[in-house]
Formats: sequence, C-alpha cells, structure tokens
Amino acid sequence: MRDRIHAAAVIARRQIQETLLSPGLYVTLALGLLLGAFLVRGFAASIDSSGFNPQLNPLYDLIARFLGGTFGGAFVGKLFSEGPYLFALLVSFAPVFAYLAIASVFRFGLEKTAGAVELLTYGPADGTAYVLGSFLKDVALALLALLAILVFLAVSAAAGNLVLGPLFFWALPVVFLAALAVCAYGILCSIIASNASSALALFLGVLLLFLLILAGSYSIASAPVRSVSTVAATVIQWISPFFYTAMCFRGLQGGGAGALLGGLGLLLALAAALLAAGHAVISRKGVRA
Amino acid sequence: MIQTKGLVKRYGSFTAVDGIDLNIPRGQIYGFLGPNGAGKTSTIMMLLGITRPTAGEIRLLGEPYTPRRLDLRRRIGVVPEKHPRGVWPWMTAREYLGLFADLFEVPSAPQRIDMLLEKVDLASVANKRFCEYSRGMLQKLSIVRALLPDPDILFLDEPISGLDPLGIKQVRDLIVSENREGRTIFISSHQLSEMERICHRVAIIFRGRLMVEDTMRSLLSRITAEREVRVELEAPPADLVVRVKNLRFVRDASEQGGTLIVKVSKEGDHRKALSEFLIRQGQVPLSITEKIPSLEEAFITITQENIVMLMRGGAE
Repeated sequence: MRDRIHAAAVIARRQIQETLLSPGLYVTLALGLLLGAFLVRGFAASIDSSGFNPQLNPLYDLIARFLGGTFGGAFVGKLFSEGPYLFALLVSFAPVFAYLAIASVFRFGLEKTAGAVELLTYGPADGTAYVLGSFLKDVALALLALLAILVFLAVSAAAGNLVLGPLFFWALPVVFLAALAVCAYGILCSIIASNASSALALFLGVLLLFLLILAGSYSIASAPVRSVSTVAATVIQWISPFFYTAMCFRGLQGGGAGALLGGLGLLLALAAALLAAGHAVISRKGVRA
Repeated sequence: MIQTKGLVKRYGSFTAVDGIDLNIPRGQIYGFLGPNGAGKTSTIMMLLGITRPTAGEIRLLGEPYTPRRLDLRRRIGVVPEKHPRGVWPWMTAREYLGLFADLFEVPSAPQRIDMLLEKVDLASVANKRFCEYSRGMLQKLSIVRALLPDPDILFLDEPISGLDPLGIKQVRDLIVSENREGRTIFISSHQLSEMERICHRVAIIFRGRLMVEDTMRSLLSRITAEREVRVELEAPPADLVVRVKNLRFVRDASEQGGTLIVKVSKEGDHRKALSEFLIRQGQVPLSITEKIPSLEEAFITITQENIVMLMRGGAE
C-alpha cells in the first residue's frame, strides 16, 4: 500500500507540473474569472427598489428564464438572494472544471496509447497507482482553481461593499465534490476505452446523458419507449453526480442541512465507488493499450 | 532468482505461452530466444507483472510474485523492446530520469543519474529533450532508467534491435559489465549471434513451448554429431585425404585449396592426434582451427526438429 501511495503521489506531482506548465488551465481560469466579473458587474443593473429584478438586464433576464424553466423560480430567487456571487462561482468554475475533466480523460488516453502508463508500471507502480495519481492531480488542481476564484470573488465583493454570504461558502464543497465525481467518471471512461478519442467520446456521452436526465428533457416519441426510458432515467440518476449536486442545492435552497450533507456524502461516495470500479477494471485489464 | 512453474498465457483460444518452467540462478546472463511470435514478450510481460498468467506460478528473488508485489518491482530494471517515443515530449533526459528516480526513491539521485549518463555517453545531451533522441540514444537512456534503482534483475527485451554496430557494441559491453557487478540479466532476443557472445545460459521458446534450456556450451555440443577441423598445409600431397580418412576418429575428409577439412567425432579433442599424424606424413600444419557450431545453427536445428514433430503431432 505504501508503494502504491508513493507512486500515486509521484504520478500526481508530474501531472500537476505538466498542467501548470501548459496554458490550458490559465486560459480557462481567466475565461472563468472574466465571466464571473461580467456577471458581478451586470448584477448591479438588475437591482431596483424592490431588490433583484432580472428583467432590468437582458443577460440576467435570459439566465433567469433558462434556470427558472429548468429548476423553478424559487431556485432562481435563492440563487441570487445573496447577490451575484453564488452564480458567479458556478459560472467561473465551469470552464476550469470542464478543462480539468476533459484534459484528464485525454491525458490518460494518450499516455495509455503511447505506452507511458506501461513504462511507469515497469517501476514500483501499477494501474491503480496511476488512477489514484490522476485523481489526486484533479483534487489538487480543482482546489487550486477554486481558491483562485474564491480570492477573486472575495476581492470583488469587498470592492463593492458586499459579502459573499453563507450560501456561497456552502456551495464551495458542493462544486468541489461534484467536480471530483465528474473527474472520477472521466478516469473510469479512460480505463474502459481503448484510446483517447473514444475515452473522450464516452465521457462526454455519459455527461450528456446525466445532464439530459437532470434537465428532465429525456423523452422519446413512442409511449412504451418513453415509459422504459423513464424507468431507465430513474435508475441512472442514482449514479449521476448532477443528481447529488442538485440534491445539495435543494438542501441549500430549502435550508435543509440533511439534504445538503447527504448530497455531499453521496458525491464523495460516488467518487470513491467510481475509483474502486476503475481499480477493479484496470487490475483485470492491465495498462497496455 | 527467477523461477516459473507451468506458466501459461492464453488470449481467447490462442495459447501464447504453454506451460513454461524456468529456473534462472543469480548472476547469470540468460538468453530467452525464439522467433517472432514465439511467446517471448508474453512471458516477459507476465514476469514483470504487466499481464496476469492464465495459470502457473512465478517466483522472483525467492518470493512468490504477483502484479501486486510493487516492493519486488523496486528490485527489477526493465528495458522494453522499443521505448515509447511520444511520451512526455517536453521532458529532458535528466527530468525523465528524475521522475523514475522519484518513483524508485533512489538515494543521491542526481549523482547516480550523472554517473549512469556518463557511463553510456549521454551526459552531454542530458539536458536535451529525449523525444529528439535517436533510436540508439533512446535505448541507452532506457537502460540508464532501468539501472537507476540498482536492480538485482535486469530484464531486456530485444536490447540491440535496430541499433547500429557501435550501439550494439556499447549495449553489449554494458550488459557484460552490469553482469560482472552481480546483476542477473534476462535477455529476450532473436539476435542469435549477439546472444551467443554474452549469454551463459539460453532457453529456446517456440510456439509458446520451451524447447530447450541449457548452458551455451552444452547446447551447442548437443546439436552436433561431429566437429569440423580445418588444417592449413603448405602443399598437401594428392593421397593425403585418403590416408587421413583411414584414421580411427575421422568420419570424413576433403581438401580445398591447401586446406584439409576433417570431420571428426565430437567426443574428445582430436587436434593433437591429427597434427601428430600430419607431421609423421611430412606435413607442417600452418594452422589448425576447429569450427564450432553457432547458436544460429543450434536454433534452426532445434526449431526445425520441433516443426517436424509438431506437424507429426508428436511434440510433447
């Protein structure tokens, strides 16, 4: 076990170094922060004497319509109840998180195809150490990105004489764990698929499926098929990180600590289960492309 | 040092390795030979824990070995047939070795890296990106990586494949010098002439089965029924061949441009008796050489015999 943990740490360190030396993380982080700044700035134009009124700003009107249609008006009200920062956090983190997950899937696939994973296993490392290392890298970089966004939004709030609010801080572990669960899916897809492009296609397909189920737009023309798909969606949602993320946000929205903590615990359990599945598959399949 | 018992690897209905038993003592250079597709790489992959055997046992360094034994992998160095070229293109050779030194927790890693790079003449290009290295340089870098943890066993898969003559000599010298330092070296190859020069013991694998396993000397003598002795003479008389043929230990004789070619039985050394006979006949032997069969001849003989046996359905 000690050997495996050491190998995972070495692999994670190398991958973090590689990510920090490439521009992708900085570009997506800058894009995220720019979007966040844009939202914070636009929020001021959506305030009137009665408080937040999205109809005053075309951008916020569009956002409120879309989110209200998907998650309900109460959700939108709660989302902006403490100002723009909770939404800005989600929007700022989204590109970084998408980049981290996709880069992770792609790197794993490329390194497996090129023989780099096998090369590492000639030493005191195995496929599981590689999986753990990749996940540790995702943990570290997601934390780093969240920290950067937190600092940026905190400075922005302080400059506008505003506060980030308790909802904002509760949302931090939710987005962090949701990101980790999605990254764990990426790792599992990379193990199952034979190369980088098929791993990416599988990963994006799985995420799309989860998003469709979450948005409730999973419908097929014929009634029998629809009923089957509804049953399938009910089953599949339990393995969706977005389902548990939504559970957390419902807890945040309704002030239910149980739902929030339960959702956080389930996100963590989902990530652990995905890594365990990855361990089982890679131990059986090996690391050869 | 390396032991296997009934090692089997099947891919679906295809049996790549079929019940191989190996027993390699410490400090040997062991040649694992066979034509392409014989099952060499499948065997090595199982020995390294990269793939799981379908059946059989492996013991490395006296302990049962499974892919989970990462502690044993610390004591093994591996040089794959081809170093993957496209990996970590931004890394210099020194950074690359640093990564593996971290992985193996090599003490005084920078000094050891410098010493090994010096040993293989790569010190001057250590700060160059290794993806720009030639095939030979990459192979030497791969050997340096394998030697980093000061392993007890060094596995080399086709170590000289694709190298130029200078590269072959450098790798050969390195293998011999590492063996002198006490390392057990397992080489998988089909470069028979090179294996003949450096291996103490060889095994020949064919269609997944171990056909023969012996010391080099014993293997070569095993395949020949007779030896060939060539005697260079100044001006051999016409009837000399007939007189030589009458000698008890001579099986056949002929003459070719002043050189007497004598086939003798393989038991004993007959060169002294032959030269004494020639002197008695008034001839002065200018040189006497004995042609020893090559590993290549042994390999062809053994594999061809087995092809015939397999075709007859009699090989067990």
